[in-house]
Amino acid sequence: MRFLIGALVVCSILLAQDTRLAQDTKTQTLSNGMKVIVQEDHGIPNVAMYFFYRIGSRNERPGATGLSHFFEHMMFNGAKKYGPGQFDKRMDDSGGNNNAYTSNDVTVYTDWFPSTALELMFDMEADRIRDLAFDPKIIESERGVVYSERRSSVDNSNGGMLQELARATAFIAHPYHWPVVGWPSDIESWTMDDLKAHFAMGYAPNNCVMVMVGDVHFDQVMQLARRYLEPIPRHDPPPPVRTKEPPQQGERRVTLSKPAQLPLQIVLYHVPEATNPDVPVLDVIGTLLTQGQSSRLYTRMVDKEQLVLGVFGGVQDALDPTVFSFNMQPRSGVDPATSEKVLYEELARLESEPVPEAELRKAKNQMLANLYRQLKTIQGRANLLGSYEVFQGDYAKLFARDKTIEAVTPADIQRVARQYFSAKNRTVATLVPEKAEVKQ
Amino acid sequence: MKRQVLLAMALCAPTTLATAQVKLPPYTREALPNGTVIYLLPRTGLPLVSFRVLVKGGAESEPASLAGLSAVTAELLRRGTAGHTAAQFSEDLDGLGGTFFAGTDEQSTSITAEFLQKDFDRGIALVSEAALHPAFPEDEVRKALSRRLDGLRSMKDNPGGAINSYYRSFFFGSTHPYGHVPDEASLDHIRRDDILAYHKRMYVGRNLIVIVAGDFDPAAAKARAAETFGAAPAGTAYAWMADQAPTRNTSPKVLLIDKPDATQTYFIIAQPGVRRATPDRVALMLVNTLFGGRFTSLLNEELRVKTGLTYGASSRVEMARLTGGLYISTYTKTETTEKAIDMALDILKRLQEKGITAEQLASAKAYTKGTYPPERLQTVDEIAQVLGEMELFGLGRDEVDQLFARVDAVTLDQANDAIKRYYRTGNLTFVLLGNASKIRDVAKKYGPQVVERTARQPGWAM
Repeated sequence: MRFLIGALVVCSILLAQDTRLAQDTKTQTLSNGMKVIVQEDHGIPNVAMYFFYRIGSRNERPGATGLSHFFEHMMFNGAKKYGPGQFDKRMDDSGGNNNAYTSNDVTVYTDWFPSTALELMFDMEADRIRDLAFDPKIIESERGVVYSERRSSVDNSNGGMLQELARATAFIAHPYHWPVVGWPSDIESWTMDDLKAHFAMGYAPNNCVMVMVGDVHFDQVMQLARRYLEPIPRHDPPPPVRTKEPPQQGERRVTLSKPAQLPLQIVLYHVPEATNPDVPVLDVIGTLLTQGQSSRLYTRMVDKEQLVLGVFGGVQDALDPTVFSFNMQPRSGVDPATSEKVLYEELARLESEPVPEAELRKAKNQMLANLYRQLKTIQGRANLLGSYEVFQGDYAKLFARDKTIEAVTPADIQRVARQYFSAKNRTVATLVPEKAEVKQ
Repeated sequence: MKRQVLLAMALCAPTTLATAQVKLPPYTREALPNGTVIYLLPRTGLPLVSFRVLVKGGAESEPASLAGLSAVTAELLRRGTAGHTAAQFSEDLDGLGGTFFAGTDEQSTSITAEFLQKDFDRGIALVSEAALHPAFPEDEVRKALSRRLDGLRSMKDNPGGAINSYYRSFFFGSTHPYGHVPDEASLDHIRRDDILAYHKRMYVGRNLIVIVAGDFDPAAAKARAAETFGAAPAGTAYAWMADQAPTRNTSPKVLLIDKPDATQTYFIIAQPGVRRATPDRVALMLVNTLFGGRFTSLLNEELRVKTGLTYGASSRVEMARLTGGLYISTYTKTETTEKAIDMALDILKRLQEKGITAEQLASAKAYTKGTYPPERLQTVDEIAQVLGEMELFGLGRDEVDQLFARVDAVTLDQANDAIKRYYRTGNLTFVLLGNASKIRDVAKKYGPQVVERTARQPGWAM
């Protein structure tokens, strides 16, 4: 009982519905500069409302690192009309839920709620954007929360700690050097003035994109936006980030010694910002190497040679030149030098041999199918639309993503691999397990 | 088709916001002659089709000495089949842009796979071949088991993930199937023959549930499902184990896991809870939302929002086929371990003594009804998961279609009665993971005898 015989002919996937999606999406910019993007979808009686502020850890300075992320927390701690705890409480009472995230580049506030709570959400969001409160007692308590977040995601996480060290080594000048959550000493010393200055700098309506997907009508959204958000005055956005990372002139190696049973390894290569045409090529390379059990690195390193437990590789969208990251966990008894060597062999193979057409087709199919999967939920679509608007400069580029991926050729892959995956351009961070228990 | 969930107004919603009752979209359920139950739920929109195959049994069907057998079996389904080597299977799957995940929980093995609509035939062929005709090549078995051993080491390097396995092992103990957490010894015992025998016994028509959801032609899908899954041997239906509720401790129990480099303590405070089919489930869902199930819960409000002791504090009522645990879970810096545990216990005590108010109950009801559609019914794979649970736990479609009415029907007395019976304050089970040299004395405060182990030792609590 078999339907598949021999090698599968790999056919292409196309974004069949790109035009429908594009038609359903409407946009308008308020007079204060806030751009509003709306996609109507009446599938479930709920709405995803996302605010993308173009401010992140890249807009910080030494001594106040982690401030964007701390600020993200403070946005839930009370404003003029809705006091401490009211934002969450009123949302919960209305059947809504929320979260937020901060990256090197952006701070994003994410609300999901029944469409019946639409006006309340506009009122609460406008309140905190316009009139956030700064209560010293709450600041102290929230400082503890953020430090606890750091303890969980970095100090007590081998992967998190190594990642922080690797990036700090790869970037010596640009603000991508410091972690989004902030250095421990900075977390301990942020002041009220730091917070106020950050708010004044980043939270301008003209520095924000609002995306709404779900059970709403465009006209209704714009009416509410004009009533609640448009009166907020525009002001200067954050000053440009001046520092550029100087080109790396040789391999950098760093180790982290820590009690652990297994090592960890991160290899970073400097690559360009999101709008650079080489980035989609790098996305294809990440897929070829690590997506799925047929990918090159999984097949060789996880399966055949059993060198690592897992291997992940890719680049995240960034406003400034960033890094392509490989993360691997060597198996017990495997010298991390061995897994590292195999990674370099596979990167060299990308440079020397054109990727066979069928393999490239497979990677493109995986990427397009994954894109569909991100479109399944109103939350996924709100996040994609906002990310494309911020990182690509235009949300509509999402609808051309299939063509961008489709255009990548085997020659592009060779050229891009040669350009970026050189020994000179890489940073290698290794967690070396300490064998003995620490004696207290 | 734009309207994915049929809406009907709830007749009497007591809150100010009248939330519309969401209902399952139309679907069919049919038992094939070999016993396989097939659900078909067509819905257009995105050109994707989702398959969910459930095999009854899960962890409770494993012999105690072979904990992890069902999970290893699931992992190996795609690693070589009657018609494909492991490499060919992965090439075909990835070439279609498809996904395929197989894993186990307390009562089932589940395979979830997704393909583009145009690849329906190839998709169902791959899924059914993996589920019904795996070859379990010896070298793949060896590789999978050895990788799992390193997986345990990796897990124990990360306290946030490891604490849950320590909890299960310690709370349920060696006599309960949920206490059989895969460890170095059980993985070492598993042989290829065990896997073959398990597959032969469990992956049979009478144990299979197949759910197809998404963009597909129902008539063609039915024919394909009959050709593939319908051809499996009927076998013997798995005889579910009788419920064995974890007994309440006669005195508090404390497990302390030493991780000398930890700068914070992770802890779980547990007591016996309920099984999924309990008539108290809706009342408990509402109560737990208030106690530790959302951001503004009592636990998170005190431990995070008001005092900044932690990034997050929560509580959970396990909902498996057999009675599980009800527990508080959080973490705090080493120095505030005692303060955080005492605070969590104090919140529990206040809940037990004072119960909740009508206003709190109304808020929990609104929250539950508002968050259910986007979390459980938005995508076809979410709906497939809901259908699978209904079948597995013997619940009817009213579980969804009448959910809002059932939520609205919970009275304050019923909620407070559930609190009295389940959120008890005495003889609890404590699991602490952190720097033992600094919290050993704190641990002693919560129980007369502290069981202590280190994160480097093989095994979990046993």
